[in-house]
Amino acid sequence: MSFAIETEGLIKIFRNRWTGKEVRAVDGITLSVEKGTTFGLLGPNGAGKTTFVKLLLSCAHATQGRATIFGRDAREAEARRPIGYLPENHRFPTYMTGASMLDFYAALSGMDGASRRKRIPELLATVGLADWGNTRLGKYSKGMLQRVGLAQALMHSPTLLILDEPTDGVDPIGRRQIRDILHGLEQQGVTIFVNSHLLGEVELFCRDVAIIHRGKVALQGKVKDLTAGAGYRLAVDYVPERLEQELRARATAVAQRNGSLEFLFGTREEANQAVDLLRAQYCEIEALTRTNSTLEDVFVRTVDEH
Amino acid sequence: MSTRSLLVTVALVRDTFREAFARKIFWAFFGCSTALILFFIFIMKIDVVQGAIATISLFGNTSRGEDVQKLVRQVHAAIAAFLFTAGMFLAVFASAGLIPAVFEPGRIELLLSKPVERYHILLGRYIGNLLVIAANVFYLVFAVWVIFGIKTGVWTAGFLWSSVLILFIFAVLLTVVVLVGVLWESAVVATMVTFGLMLMSPILAQQSILERLLSSEWSRNLVRVMYYALPKVFDVGRIVRGLVLGDPVGNWMPIWSSALFGAAILSTGLYVFSRRNY
Repeated sequence: MSFAIETEGLIKIFRNRWTGKEVRAVDGITLSVEKGTTFGLLGPNGAGKTTFVKLLLSCAHATQGRATIFGRDAREAEARRPIGYLPENHRFPTYMTGASMLDFYAALSGMDGASRRKRIPELLATVGLADWGNTRLGKYSKGMLQRVGLAQALMHSPTLLILDEPTDGVDPIGRRQIRDILHGLEQQGVTIFVNSHLLGEVELFCRDVAIIHRGKVALQGKVKDLTAGAGYRLAVDYVPERLEQELRARATAVAQRNGSLEFLFGTREEANQAVDLLRAQYCEIEALTRTNSTLEDVFVRTVDEH
Repeated sequence: MSTRSLLVTVALVRDTFREAFARKIFWAFFGCSTALILFFIFIMKIDVVQGAIATISLFGNTSRGEDVQKLVRQVHAAIAAFLFTAGMFLAVFASAGLIPAVFEPGRIELLLSKPVERYHILLGRYIGNLLVIAANVFYLVFAVWVIFGIKTGVWTAGFLWSSVLILFIFAVLLTVVVLVGVLWESAVVATMVTFGLMLMSPILAQQSILERLLSSEWSRNLVRVMYYALPKVFDVGRIVRGLVLGDPVGNWMPIWSSALFGAAILSTGLYVFSRRNY
């Protein structure tokens, strides 16, 4: 399996220069994002989501661990060539027009002048700003800035899109428009990594999801499995390593909570088979419950339990 | 330099110009320069008699019997002095905002997310800033040089060279703006530190007098170190004046030591920028 993003034991510690106080913003995150998937990174405020994204983009330097983008060390400038990025709270220079902003950032991405001139009107039309290209960004509304920001991220036809709160400040029609654009890109095989607190949006759009809490991955899995109408959650205190590997392969999601290991199974049969395997090895079963959740339920439960 | 690298540099320089236009910095300089040029074209009338003696008319008042060479050199020296003092303060004041603006949250992340090395981003901005000021300095100096050349027939290269030295000292001071900008991300602090260095320069230039006034050896050493380590704005100013008046450069030390200072400060700025978290 090849991955668009891969991190291994990624740690970022911020140290206060004067007091020496440390904050572990990212605390050993190991994460893999498959090529061509739509991946949602969730977490409460201050969980370390934005710092994690900044480590991927080398805006911040990791204290420990490694990150790769399509197999290339994320610290290399070339690793960022296939990335299109829309930051949260972006501040595009207001002296630029929509078109000149797109032209500037595309030039930094290495696009030649002719390609830029061809692509700018196309993308402005795609994000519904065809008539606004020559207007200064200072006159744009928040939603328009978000859409032109998305166009900026798409200018050089990236194969990995990293979007930090992409629909923030956008009206419902605009949101649907952005979702449609992203669906179109997904069909073309673009990997989309969304960092958001809008759970409904993520549930609607993403295939895979990870919840980050206090700098660690608290839960990771496929959205459809995590939110399955009739799933079964099996909690055990201790599982021998070999059996754990086997159960991980059978489960739709695995999470570590309060010292217990939780496996999520899609069907009753799968859950029963897991129980049989565990009991055969005399493992104590902590709980077996039926799940019926939305992503919001999953999120709240995960955050509460950690 | 590869095509891609050149493309990035041009984009960064163009962006700096665009921001300078938007902040009216460029147009303010351009307007002042143009006003001065128009003054020399239309208001000041110089009549050269027998190639050496001139009469000058200014607002209807005429002075006679001026030595043309002397007159032209004095005007050139006055303009060079103005550019070197007031012009330099204005240029630093205007530039101090252009560099730290890049580090604004929400803007820097986007720049860093592009496949461009960090040093390239900062150098591109530095070069852009330098070119904004260079365009104005060369415009004013070259236009005045041509006007006086046509009106008097005196074409001295010293005045043109002075513009290179003015730009050189600005380039050195701009490295301080870069370093302070990277460290504190503040235009105000960058301006204050750079102005401080400019104001210290004429004081340190009197180091032989200072050394005589100071009682302890360590304080004399401190003055010596500061004099040699910091940019010699005042001394280079004297060289500029000498160049314009036709004197050869007797002592190159102020130039090369200032260049060394600039190179060291710029390298430090680039290093700090490459290590910072945003």
